[in-house]
Amino acid sequence: MLTRGTLIYIGQRLVIIVFTVLVVSSIVFLGIHRLPGDALFNEHLHGTQYALILHHYGLDRPLWDQYTSFLSGLILHGNLGESLVNRGVPITPLVLREFTVSAEVGLFALVFTIGLGMTLGVVAAIRQNTWVDYVLTTTSVIGYSMPSFVIATFLLLVFAVWLDNLTQGTFYFQIGWTGRFGTIGEIWLPAFALGFPYASIVARLTRASMLEVIRQDYIRTARAKGLRETVIMVRHALRNALIPVITILGPLVIGIITGGVIIENIFGIPGLGKEFATSILNRDYNIVIGVFTAYAAMIGVANLGVDLAYVVIDPRIRY
Amino acid sequence: MATSVSYPTPGPGPAPVVATAGIQAPVQASLWSDAWRRLRRNRLALVSAVYLVLLVAVALIALVHTPYSYRDVGVARPYSGPSGANWFGADILGRDVLSRLMVGAQISLIVGVGTQVLVLAVGVPIGLLSGYYRGLFDTVVAFIINVFYGIPDLLVAMILLLLLGPSLNNIIIAIVATRWMDMARLVRGQTLALREREFIEAARSSGAKPAKILFGHILPNSLGPIIVQATFGVPAAILFEAFLSFLGIGVQPPTPSWGSMAADGLAAIRIAPHMVIFPSIALSLTLMAFNFLGDGLRDALDPRQKR
Amino acid sequence: MATPILQVKDLHTEFLTDGGVVKAVDGVSFDLYPGESIGIVGESGSGKSITALSILRLVPDPGRVVSGQVLFHDQDLLQISGEEIREIRGRDIAMIFQDPQSSLNPVLRTGFQIDEAMLAHDKATKKEAHLRTIELLRRVRIPAPETRVKDFPHQLSGGMRQRAMIAMGLANAPSILIADEPTTALDVTVQAQILELLGDLNRDLGTAIVMITHNMGVVAGLCTRVLVMYAGEIVEQGPVEQIFENPQHPYTWSLLRSIPRVDALRHERLRSIEGLAPDLLHPPTGCRFHPRCPFRIEKCYTDEPRLQEVAPGQQAACWVTMERARKEMDADNLVDIRPGAGSGLHKGELTE
Repeated sequence: MLTRGTLIYIGQRLVIIVFTVLVVSSIVFLGIHRLPGDALFNEHLHGTQYALILHHYGLDRPLWDQYTSFLSGLILHGNLGESLVNRGVPITPLVLREFTVSAEVGLFALVFTIGLGMTLGVVAAIRQNTWVDYVLTTTSVIGYSMPSFVIATFLLLVFAVWLDNLTQGTFYFQIGWTGRFGTIGEIWLPAFALGFPYASIVARLTRASMLEVIRQDYIRTARAKGLRETVIMVRHALRNALIPVITILGPLVIGIITGGVIIENIFGIPGLGKEFATSILNRDYNIVIGVFTAYAAMIGVANLGVDLAYVVIDPRIRY
Repeated sequence: MATSVSYPTPGPGPAPVVATAGIQAPVQASLWSDAWRRLRRNRLALVSAVYLVLLVAVALIALVHTPYSYRDVGVARPYSGPSGANWFGADILGRDVLSRLMVGAQISLIVGVGTQVLVLAVGVPIGLLSGYYRGLFDTVVAFIINVFYGIPDLLVAMILLLLLGPSLNNIIIAIVATRWMDMARLVRGQTLALREREFIEAARSSGAKPAKILFGHILPNSLGPIIVQATFGVPAAILFEAFLSFLGIGVQPPTPSWGSMAADGLAAIRIAPHMVIFPSIALSLTLMAFNFLGDGLRDALDPRQKR
Repeated sequence: MATPILQVKDLHTEFLTDGGVVKAVDGVSFDLYPGESIGIVGESGSGKSITALSILRLVPDPGRVVSGQVLFHDQDLLQISGEEIREIRGRDIAMIFQDPQSSLNPVLRTGFQIDEAMLAHDKATKKEAHLRTIELLRRVRIPAPETRVKDFPHQLSGGMRQRAMIAMGLANAPSILIADEPTTALDVTVQAQILELLGDLNRDLGTAIVMITHNMGVVAGLCTRVLVMYAGEIVEQGPVEQIFENPQHPYTWSLLRSIPRVDALRHERLRSIEGLAPDLLHPPTGCRFHPRCPFRIEKCYTDEPRLQEVAPGQQAACWVTMERARKEMDADNLVDIRPGAGSGLHKGELTE
């Protein structure tokens, strides 16, 4: 599987990713960097104080100068500059730290999405047209129709408000980030809220895909061979049913990433999403550029991962 | 009416169920009447359609009358729950939630439908031209579509709003700017597939002008998927706007958006849960209705359905 | 002859569709003797494939086997439990299908799919199965089997795929191999090779073969006995040479006549059987072939004929039979064989 062709392909894609990130980053930089109304301007500084600050950030130099030093700083040192709002805070370590947080929640959500979504999809397909199927299908439409913040609200209501009121504080779920891995308020609720709409989509797609696969001739062959029904479903049917699901994995990951922006804001999780929203509201352009660059990189890598997953699942695809 | 059983016959023949004397062949129906018939039988879609009609009615009524003005502060005690005077309670500034919900319906519908109209206006021609003429234009368009495929629309929209300033118009522009590619790609794909079909070649060789081919042949045959895509695009746009307003970058106060109302309500969830519950329900029901309707349309327009 | 290893008695399989009940298999009975190779011939929709599927209880929804018996070693396959029939499938009775492209799982290696057949019935360990697979591939004349086992189905040619399917079918040395149109999706030259292979395997291994096809030529090359099916029923059965030389049912006779001959004059029209395949939702009254039969008489419209002995070992379900048609209706010299052309009976015909 890890053939020479595949390795070359990975190499090519990585180059493309780096290139895309730089292009995207540049576009955002050039678009925003000198936009009026930035955080510094809003501090209403005057005279020499203002000039000093501008000089500190290199904002008094010509745009092209600023751009080249931004690029060289990024390529050579991975340096994303300094926050406009919080003086002296370098952006790159900030972004890296927040990336790990976002990635943690995101991965939880992804595993939940795929795991639960696929399982339910398979069950609904096997029990087609029974009540199980109808319940799951309707639930899934409701699932992807509800905005993630509605689901988050609902979860908060149940776990952080009602349960607390009912049990007089015994069952209190801490919302907020304490750095401890896996507490309910910290990871599970946000991951569930984040993943639920996508799990519904995956469930629908898996169900439809399984229904198609079950009708295929090779399933009939498998039965004629005398294989057990479970084996047929898992080994023969599911692997083929996965193929269309992998197709939407790319947009799905992007959706989880963007959904994370909302969820992190609701649950107070110090991740990239919260940072992005905050810095847009605060007009901290440097951070906006930095976070967006990080996102571009994340998505590039995620798409590459999805394309590689294709190779694993479907042997007809080789790069 | 001869059936020849010759040697060797390639592959299995057609199913044996054939009309014999005395059985009438079914009346030939067009795609649309067929689709309409199927849609009518889909109860969820019908209920959704009714709901949406009611929603539009509420939004229209809100143009001339709401129980209170949506911007009037202090018509009730802040945070007060549902009561006779305020059916859905009051918000943080004592404004009537119901009135704000009604105006919010206008916002959602304008965004939802407005964005799709523009997406159709932009995406369909680009897709048609790109798919039909190929060449440099198509290469550029395909390139753009593929590049933007991997870009998170929410983030780009946020940056666009930063550049343009938040307002209802700019929101619509931002959403259209990040979403037209999907429609263009769909139409392009349809055009690419259809232009190879024989009836297009026939039209071409009989001297039909390209405009006639595009709008008289290709477009009508792609209408099904286009309609479905647009129908699903409405709730996506409404959701998009709700997200933006939720984050504070969308519609600005005092104009109420269901998204911003939910955000305000979330802050007060412990003491006044009704503030977040009602906008959330409004959003959820509306999105569900559009999705069920879209599902129904897709199933109804699917030519592979036999009934 | 010894006792039959398979006895199908009065099999009825129906499909419940929106339009009504389709009787795909309507009272089929036949015996299969050890090591025999028989052919089941018929048009699409005649019920031949469904008959085969019914034996192994593989009929897809909305189909159901509603009555009858399938006796295999004193067990009625239609009555035993799901687990028991599962054990018989692939081990004692194997079935291979028409299109090897779609009948093999595209994401699993070919060798593995053959190993599976053995592993499913605990016939071997993984290592043993793997070795036996290579042997089987060699037996079905696939060159370089050691490398081929690792290939995926899409990496094999059509002929090789079908051979692999045959190998899969024979993996557990079953006493019966049912082949549902195994050559239809293949090139003509490959067809001949596959048929030759099946014939050799039948001789060498003693595996009984049930060959399902619409192609009389296939039957002639491979089978000793043939069953001709029409509209869910057997209309004629008997030894292959006898049937070919002296078909007694008008349908069989028309089938054989319709095969284009190399030595026919160029301007001669192709001879086809007039009419359309019967509607199984509302089968014709009386003899199901009567709307298309050149030799029908009054009785054919009302009474359904049963299989009767018309020659030693040969049975046909017909009120007239070709013997009488030849004598009384000059069948051999008929140029056009439109319905009723021989008997002059045109009652109930559609006017165009």
